[in-house]
Amino acid sequence: MSTYLVKRFLLMLLTLIGISIIIFVLLRLMPGNIADIMFDSAGFVDPAEKAQIEKELGLDQPIPVQYFDWIKGLLVWDLGFSYVSEMPAIDELGPRIPITAKLAALALGFSILFGLPLGVISAVKQDTALDYIMRIVSLSGLSLPSFWLALLILMFFVANFGSIPIYMDPPENLWDELVLYSIPAAAVGFRSSALIMRLTRSSMLEVMRQDYIRTARSKGASENSINYRHALKNAVLPVTTIIGIEAAFLIGGLIITETVFNIPGVAHFLVEAILMRDYPIVQSLVMLIAIVTVVINFLVDLLYAVLDPRIKYAE
Amino acid sequence: MVDIDHQAELVKAGAHISGRWDKLWFYARRYPLGAIGAVIMVVFVFSAVFADLIAPHDPLQTKASASLLAPNSDFVMGADMMGRDMFSRIIHGSRISLTVGVASILLGGIIGVIVGLMSGYLMGWFDLLMQRIIDIMQALPLLVLALVMAASLGPSLENTVIAISIPLVPNVARVVRSSTLSLREMPFVEAARAAGMSEIRVAVRHVLPNILAPLIVLFTAQLGAAILIEASLSFLGLGVPEPHPSWGRMLSESAAEYVRVAPWLVIFPGLAISLAVFGTNLFGDALRDILDPRQRN
Amino acid sequence: MKRKIFTIASAASLVGLMFCAEAALAQKSGGVLKAYHRGTPPSGSIHEEATNSTLTPYMGVFNNLIMYRQDVARDSLETIIPDLAESWSWSDDLTKLTFKLRSGVKWHDGKAFSSKDVKCTWDLLQGKSKAKLRKNPRKAWYKNLDKVTTNGDGEATFHLKRPQPAFLALLASGYSPVYPCHVSPKKMRTNPVGTGPFKFVSLKQNEHVKFTKNPNYWKKDRPYLDGVEWTIIKSRATRVLAFIAGKFDMTFNVDVTVPLLKDVKSQAPHAVCELVTTNVSTNLIVNQFKPPFDNADVRKAMVLAIDRKAFIDILSEGQNLQGGAMMPPPSGVWGMPPDFLKTVAGYNPDIAGNRAAARKIMEGLGYGPDNRLKVKVSTRNIAVYRDPAVILIDHLKEIYMDAELDTVETSNWHAKVARKDYMVGLNLTGIGVDDPDANFYENYSCGSQRNYTGYCKPEMEELFAKQSMMTDQAARKKLVWEIDKKLQEDAARPMISHGKAAQCWQPHVKGFVTHVNSLYNNWRMEDVWMDK
Repeated sequence: MSTYLVKRFLLMLLTLIGISIIIFVLLRLMPGNIADIMFDSAGFVDPAEKAQIEKELGLDQPIPVQYFDWIKGLLVWDLGFSYVSEMPAIDELGPRIPITAKLAALALGFSILFGLPLGVISAVKQDTALDYIMRIVSLSGLSLPSFWLALLILMFFVANFGSIPIYMDPPENLWDELVLYSIPAAAVGFRSSALIMRLTRSSMLEVMRQDYIRTARSKGASENSINYRHALKNAVLPVTTIIGIEAAFLIGGLIITETVFNIPGVAHFLVEAILMRDYPIVQSLVMLIAIVTVVINFLVDLLYAVLDPRIKYAE
Repeated sequence: MVDIDHQAELVKAGAHISGRWDKLWFYARRYPLGAIGAVIMVVFVFSAVFADLIAPHDPLQTKASASLLAPNSDFVMGADMMGRDMFSRIIHGSRISLTVGVASILLGGIIGVIVGLMSGYLMGWFDLLMQRIIDIMQALPLLVLALVMAASLGPSLENTVIAISIPLVPNVARVVRSSTLSLREMPFVEAARAAGMSEIRVAVRHVLPNILAPLIVLFTAQLGAAILIEASLSFLGLGVPEPHPSWGRMLSESAAEYVRVAPWLVIFPGLAISLAVFGTNLFGDALRDILDPRQRN
Repeated sequence: MKRKIFTIASAASLVGLMFCAEAALAQKSGGVLKAYHRGTPPSGSIHEEATNSTLTPYMGVFNNLIMYRQDVARDSLETIIPDLAESWSWSDDLTKLTFKLRSGVKWHDGKAFSSKDVKCTWDLLQGKSKAKLRKNPRKAWYKNLDKVTTNGDGEATFHLKRPQPAFLALLASGYSPVYPCHVSPKKMRTNPVGTGPFKFVSLKQNEHVKFTKNPNYWKKDRPYLDGVEWTIIKSRATRVLAFIAGKFDMTFNVDVTVPLLKDVKSQAPHAVCELVTTNVSTNLIVNQFKPPFDNADVRKAMVLAIDRKAFIDILSEGQNLQGGAMMPPPSGVWGMPPDFLKTVAGYNPDIAGNRAAARKIMEGLGYGPDNRLKVKVSTRNIAVYRDPAVILIDHLKEIYMDAELDTVETSNWHAKVARKDYMVGLNLTGIGVDDPDANFYENYSCGSQRNYTGYCKPEMEELFAKQSMMTDQAARKKLVWEIDKKLQEDAARPMISHGKAAQCWQPHVKGFVTHVNSLYNNWRMEDVWMDK
């Protein structure tokens, strides 16, 4: 197990290094840089002054030099300065991370709360009208673009309540916060709950067909106890995986939801930073997303090992 | 080999299976949701192919008097700020969505198949390298990777296709690789090799046909995802640029400005995206059940 | 001897004069004004930016030497009043402009303001100082400025190369604040220090920018407000909805477009909204150095094909105005009057006739229904640019031109324009001060950075200088019309329309006046108060 852990950890590092290179190069391939953006608000571009800005920011250095400077900084927790605000990137990102984290947690909670039980019910009532309805609802969850759903929610609120549930000021207490985030969280969690429901359903069905369930059934265990005690217990495993992966991938959905609801989290900030060619911010954020994803995957694997003793990590 | 299961069922059902249409009817009854999906997809493809014939107006024709016109008999889905007919734009938009969707699936699929085949077949350092690259690509959410790629390539139809197709490669490569790994040890593959067939021919003639079924299932599932990503990128202003009538683009900026004044500018494009993706997903589910019986529920 | 044009002894008497109209209302102090902002200001340094994203929130941080009266809607040379300067006077030859400065004024960091700061500011703008601005968008305004000298702490003199009576108009703009000597340009971008009624508090990208009352402001009992807070909301639909829902006291600087204004009026009938000319024009930049538009005939045909009324109907439900380079009357002081405008080529309301003439030109060049000219219309990938470009393409179809839309990302637009890598571009131009000197020198003069097309004609330069030196403003106006007509007929930057949009606020906001011929001069906010 420990050799597996070491190997897994090293692979994780390798992946992160790869990402750092790819994101670094992709950013520098983008048409135009921060100097162009800065001149945009002045309504012209002066080549000499632009070169001066590039020099100031170190953008005139060869790309490998810039890359190693960045990595050197990362190692000592120095993320550089935002090109746009000229503030340390860490100060720009720090307050925004909890906002997105809370939103993601709420969305994930929402999706488990709905996805898991509905998936189980759908499996148990396989091929009934209820199952069909739930399958259609879950498929529509995967089909509705989240930005459209968010816009529809906004339109609904304005039409019926004359107000809009968007972020304006930081919430003052926990309740306000919950109220503020719950609508966007539901908008983005709808898709995840659909995914979790589908996966729960298919894992349940698979487990229900397996030998030991048949054995339990032949021994006279009640249907309910079979479904909920034996089948669910074993179906939880693959579901854990998808929940883990979803947690990291929620950020994709949040990019758009935060934009529509004007929530000042990191996902919204990522899009802004890309448009502004704010390299230090984009680099740090993408690395953060990658680290979260990779670590969650790692934890999911570990959890697998704990939950399912049949899996051995001998290699 | 995948169809045997159903042939047996057909016989068991006692149906007088005489032609293709009967077979189709059988499947439609067996998988009603899939049939609905197929119908939606046919409508979608039909409107994309015959957009010029179906659309009552030129989707790019501006008209001052129709600016922000509510739906009426001439403009059944209303008109946008520039007085362009929404219905015609939606019809033409299906062409953009389908083009981007199919093109990125094909591009991503071809790259994925080549990488997966080579990986599973050659193994060794190539495989190791590819596995690491795939790890790297999978460590970022699809939309984040597509977003960064789209931004670095710049907005255009072709670049949107590239930006969407690359993040789709890992899934395909994984499926192809694992199938190849198991197939290459199969007796018939060994036999072909022993008979002096070149490695590439073995891969293409014997391995590829056997992984076609899971690939088709995967491609259908990814088509919906590709359409959604295109819409999202265009919504964020990084996808297909004007004047192409992209559904995502229609929803963004100018449409979002008039959410209250002209809600039809928000409702119809969103409905179009949802329906197209929904149809693809329904159809994909049924296709998976038919072609990939191991996963059947 | 010095000829005095305008002197006012003390600020106190002026303030009394300004507010006699509202004397019956007792102004209330207190309260933080909440407004929304359309996007993160690129920086807090007004001199480095050419966008009202910066100017609007930050103008209250600073003072100018002189400024436009905040309570008069139409800016002109007659509405200029003292600010940090108590008085000013011209030398007889109109080349030396001397300001007597207010004493006892302190910067927000406690240091004293003096004539050195004035000299520093304009040295910075002319690139003479050691500290350097990163960007200097209004360099062209000071083409005629030779140097600034000081006489003690309380007097500063601007030395001009030739007479320029309208130089005052430039100094009075919100774009001309006095910067402190002792604060670096970099710090001015992130933490600006001024002498104005509001102190900068904080800027958070995509969230807010906040200002608080300057308790030591040199104007006694100003400002009334305890602070101004701008919440940043990028989606126009969302922010206008938030205003309708009563979450804001005020909109951003004329942010409400004509179609949205209807909605605001019906949903929030109590709100006060004023529809004004924005002095932002939609125009074309034509590349005269490359085919096909290096051919004057093709340019002429294109200009004839434009149906300005159609643009105006679509973009603003008929509200926008037709005009030349200068903002059209009645809001604009210098624009060509309607009768005069009709005599300009391409402004004839007979569109069918114009287009027939354009087709004839094109046919003469060998084009026709079967041999269409392919052109590219470049524009920024932003709706306000893209929408008119799409209409233009539609109009060009009428004269055998098949145009393709080339949308350019914001990050590439100015670089592309500077490279002259376009055939025809659809462009928006905002004018800071409604004065020919500001407009002509910035946008049509040889060597100006913002003269995108590189339009440069010696005879026009002479005319620009001639109007600039005139003291008789009525005669100057006639000459400006002639210049404007020439600019349009040269297709230097063919004008499509002058924009209109609305400023809205809740009825409890008092003392705010929307200016009708500039968006950039009325955001000091020191006289604004809330009746709550």
